[in-house]
Amino acid sequence: MRRKRPDGPIIVRDDGTFTINLQDHERETMLDLVGQLETVLSSGPDDERLRRLYPTAYNENPEHDAEYQGFMREELTQSRAASIATVREMLSSDSPVTENQLGAFMMVLNNLRLILGTLLDVNEDDDEPEETDPLYGQWQLYGYLGWLLEWVISSLTGE
Amino acid sequence: MSFTTSATVAQSQIAEPDLTEKVDEVVDLDTPWIVLVWNDPINLMSYVSFIFQKLFGYSKEKADLLMLDVHEKGRAVVSTGSREHAEMDVFRLHEHGLWATMQQD
Repeated sequence: MRRKRPDGPIIVRDDGTFTINLQDHERETMLDLVGQLETVLSSGPDDERLRRLYPTAYNENPEHDAEYQGFMREELTQSRAASIATVREMLSSDSPVTENQLGAFMMVLNNLRLILGTLLDVNEDDDEPEETDPLYGQWQLYGYLGWLLEWVISSLTGE
Repeated sequence: MSFTTSATVAQSQIAEPDLTEKVDEVVDLDTPWIVLVWNDPINLMSYVSFIFQKLFGYSKEKADLLMLDVHEKGRAVVSTGSREHAEMDVFRLHEHGLWATMQQD
């Protein structure tokens, strides 16, 4: 079990719950991003920004895939809406966070990274972004979300 | 979860059953489906391993090996089974943002 790290963004409490240890401006940024995620999702699965959130299931059979998508896409959207609602409530309160809530936070963080990573066209061999890059702010946000996600995962796994 | 299977059953109840087709169907159903996860540059390695543990109950060791397989070989088979089972696994992987597909082995 991880020992308490008061300086980290996620603190594991003795009773197995968690504290989201974000500064006020970080909390506001996250709430804003959650709202943006909700807006992008409302534009529907065919939106190019959501390409990574609604992947193909049957690579070799477009007919099967169309059938699958017709059935599953709505389920995926509903599942994401539920995570968003959980995270919004979690970030708006100072109450201890349950494992389920932290799991929803993980999903939301990952969805945001997938959208931002698609926008930035992230590759495995990308160099550090230059400050002059017009998307430098987005790159920084992408890095921040990854850092926060790593903390959530290590808090959930107790490593 | 699969529509084609139940649609075929419903059809055979109203139409005269075609025996040849039925035999094909049985063979088709017996062939297992595999669920593949593909490498992608966005998902964190720790995240992918954690999702394998969470969704399939794999040990950390097994999940890490699978994740490294995905990372180094470009893809890995993470589960096998009936079409319905594979569709559910693919759905749960998509729900968690992983790049999963399914095909008959």
